[in-house]
Amino acid sequence: MTKEELITKLKAIVAPYIQDEEAFKNLSEDTDFVTDLKINSANLVDIILDIEDEFDIRLENEDMEKMLDVKSAMTIVNSKLGS
Amino acid sequence: MVGNDIVDIAQAKKDSNWQRPRFLDKLFTLKEQQTIHASDNPCIMVWQLWSMKEAAYKLYTQINPSRFYNPKGFACEIDNKKGFIRFKNFNCYVETKITSDYIISEARLEIKSMTSKVTILESSEPKLQSKTIREEALKVAIKCLNISDENAIIANSDFNIPTLEIDSEVTPISLTHHGNYGAFAIA
Repeated sequence: MTKEELITKLKAIVAPYIQDEEAFKNLSEDTDFVTDLKINSANLVDIILDIEDEFDIRLENEDMEKMLDVKSAMTIVNSKLGS
Repeated sequence: MVGNDIVDIAQAKKDSNWQRPRFLDKLFTLKEQQTIHASDNPCIMVWQLWSMKEAAYKLYTQINPSRFYNPKGFACEIDNKKGFIRFKNFNCYVETKITSDYIISEARLEIKSMTSKVTILESSEPKLQSKTIREEALKVAIKCLNISDENAIIANSDFNIPTLEIDSEVTPISLTHHGNYGAFAIA
């Protein structure tokens, strides 16, 4: 999967939970889920579960710990997919 | 040092499905999951434990400036409505108040009665909510401490942790907003 494909998939996953449209429109690797997209911290777990379902992977507590921005999500997904 | 967290119950019900497969397992320890299932009102117990964890996280990051997502790591015990939380070597006490509309928790290093002041917020827009709750907190601080408003500001230190700064003196503060409600506590 290319970087762009991965970002597109992650963008679709976070879409239902975002509370800042402007930051969502400009979503990039540097976008933070909480400080930029204003995603409620209780919904971060939904994003984690959606990522697990979408990529058919399982995330451990150590993975979840870093799941605060697009870049970390990409790194974790890639490492789990073994690419 | 203080950490607080408010949950608007109606908003939480709208935004989250705690019965979703693996949801509880990702956020709560086995013991907490048992507490939830044994509760007369599992939904309220979910959000009570959640607000306790968030309040403790805010207190922890005030002492150890950092940012991470590890709700499960903050293990809660509730005994007679008194909460106790452990995270690695860190321990704290959490007081929780539950109304029909919201749940609020306040975490402290010592047992202390709740000081958080709750406000109803008109806007549901997160940026505006954050601004309103900051203004409220500043107003109360200025009044209580009898200082001039030019001398006091609410600043964000690293990792987005808020502080109340009067002249050059820094006081920890905790701010929270969710749905229709906001609250602040000054240490």
